[in-house]
Amino acid sequence: MRRGRWPLFTILAFGYAFLYIPVALLVIFSFNESRLVTVWSGFSTKWYAELFRNQQLLEAAWLSIRIAAVNATFAVLLGTLSANALVRHRRFRGRGGFELLLTAPLVMPDVIIGLSLLLLFVALQQGIGWPDGRGFTTITIAHITFSLAYVAVVVRARLSQLDRSLEEAAMDLGARPLTVYLRITLPLIAPALLSGWLLAFTLSLDDLVVASFVSGPGSTTLPMVIYASVRMGVSPQINALATLIMLFVALAVVVASLALRSQAKDRGHRTNARR
Amino acid sequence: MSVAIDRRALEPWQDPSAVPFVRIERVTKQFGDIYAVDDVSLSIFQGEFFSLLGSSGCGKSTLLRLLAGLDYPSSGRIFIDGADVTDIPPYQRPVNMMFQSYALFPHMTVEQNVEFGLEQERMPRRERAERVGEMLDLLKIGELRKRKPDQLSGGQRQRAALARSLAKHPKLLLLDEPLGALDKRLRENTQFELVNLQERIGTTFVTVTHDQEEAMTMSSRIAVMEAGRILQIDTPTGIYEFPSNRFVAEFIGSVNLFEGRVMQRDGDLVTVETRLGRPIQMRCPLPLALGKPVTIAIRPEKIRLSAAYRDDAVNQIRGTVEDIAYLGDVSIYHVRISPDQVTRMTLANIQPQTEQELTWGQEVAMEWSPTSGVVLTD
Repeated sequence: MRRGRWPLFTILAFGYAFLYIPVALLVIFSFNESRLVTVWSGFSTKWYAELFRNQQLLEAAWLSIRIAAVNATFAVLLGTLSANALVRHRRFRGRGGFELLLTAPLVMPDVIIGLSLLLLFVALQQGIGWPDGRGFTTITIAHITFSLAYVAVVVRARLSQLDRSLEEAAMDLGARPLTVYLRITLPLIAPALLSGWLLAFTLSLDDLVVASFVSGPGSTTLPMVIYASVRMGVSPQINALATLIMLFVALAVVVASLALRSQAKDRGHRTNARR
Repeated sequence: MSVAIDRRALEPWQDPSAVPFVRIERVTKQFGDIYAVDDVSLSIFQGEFFSLLGSSGCGKSTLLRLLAGLDYPSSGRIFIDGADVTDIPPYQRPVNMMFQSYALFPHMTVEQNVEFGLEQERMPRRERAERVGEMLDLLKIGELRKRKPDQLSGGQRQRAALARSLAKHPKLLLLDEPLGALDKRLRENTQFELVNLQERIGTTFVTVTHDQEEAMTMSSRIAVMEAGRILQIDTPTGIYEFPSNRFVAEFIGSVNLFEGRVMQRDGDLVTVETRLGRPIQMRCPLPLALGKPVTIAIRPEKIRLSAAYRDDAVNQIRGTVEDIAYLGDVSIYHVRISPDQVTRMTLANIQPQTEQELTWGQEVAMEWSPTSGVVLTD
């Protein structure tokens, strides 16, 4: 028995090594003294200090975070509405088309999304004068376009699991549809909204391709700055920045999973027989 | 099988001048091509404990949902307490429902669940707290007030759901399989508790169940449903003793059916010719034409079984004991009366089983009186 486990452990170890050694290296080299990213020459936090003096990088990071937050919020709003329409209304005119369009960004290459949105924005600007140039607004709109699809998928899954009789019971007890939604439905799908928000936030923070198409002068997002600087030769500042981002994301994931766990406890049982 | 003692001296459905509390008039509910409820008319009176009984898919739950307003009828009208509620949304009906799954809000405590309906009514906070306390006391779940639904047992959940649905003092309480999710022992105790509760608060109850025993124990009247239609509405006694058709006779309890034709008619005494030997005489108030094919339905406990054959007995069929199932209080006898028919009867074990005179393979005679069964025409 003991002996039989050896191959499994080996495979597991290799798997983890493959996934996490690059990340570990990145973190380790963010504390490297040397300017060369691949040569270790002693411990130092000077790249962190330099990072915080690098105005361009910080501005890009701040822009990306703002875009990500606004994007996530709108994506959750619109994604939840779409999921509602699809789960709650079995039949409406154009349902098939709506469903297809909603999920299209999941499979559409980023290059095409980026290019098509760029064409749209240019045409709009020429036609009605809005958007006035490209930047924060256009990137955010572009991000919402595809994040929305992911949020809709997450919320839809949760919503279709929800016991319909909970909402019916609330209505039976005198709650109008809006009250039912705010007091019963929303609290019960809140975990999905939270994970949808985080997902949309991450997708936006991560995006290089779409943003490259629809950004304008003076609105360079973090991935764009990193990508550009890598072509010039990687500075260990990037390692420091990546380490900070990872720390931030890890914290967010921990918070989210704690929230989800306490929600899951409340969920109760979902058995239901209608007729 | 327990037949409830008639709990009400007052039987408003017998009184033609009584005004029904709930009136369902020719209601039909279609889902696509399927008629879930098919042209049903029904009157329920104030203070009744009314059961809709039927197997799954017979339309009983749909009818309940139509009363609650969770579905709207395709045609027909529904009146509650004199008002036409057919097009009134559920949140404006003076009706509350206890759901089969209980549908307790998982993110709220028991107390908050019970209070939810009162908040919607904009009842002042103090009054609300008072009412919640009252309800929790009524259902004896005061000490569970701060718990969430997933911290409750099945029986406690059922009580919490009942407290929530009664909190608004509805004119009509609908219960969808109220005991369906409880285990057998708990279910039996709860049956009586539910009936006592209903008598105490006087609210009209309409319940849906597939369990005939449950319906018999609890109800003032029962409507037996099948394929969206109501086959019979009567008291538990009426349904059991005087089923109006074969389906009801076979659905409630067990029954022996003998097919034959009307041979002779003398007042309300009908003589029916069967393939089982001597003609059978039954009381039947219906006017039956001579030669009409009929079915005689006799409950297993209404048949006497003896080893001796008497020439002067009114109704007598001979057969051979094929099986005896000893259940303690009663024994069930299977008697073959013809190559293709076995009848079933229950005899109370008044004497200890060892002294019983009937055994396997014995020739016996079955007897019953003309009043202990019914003649069915369909």
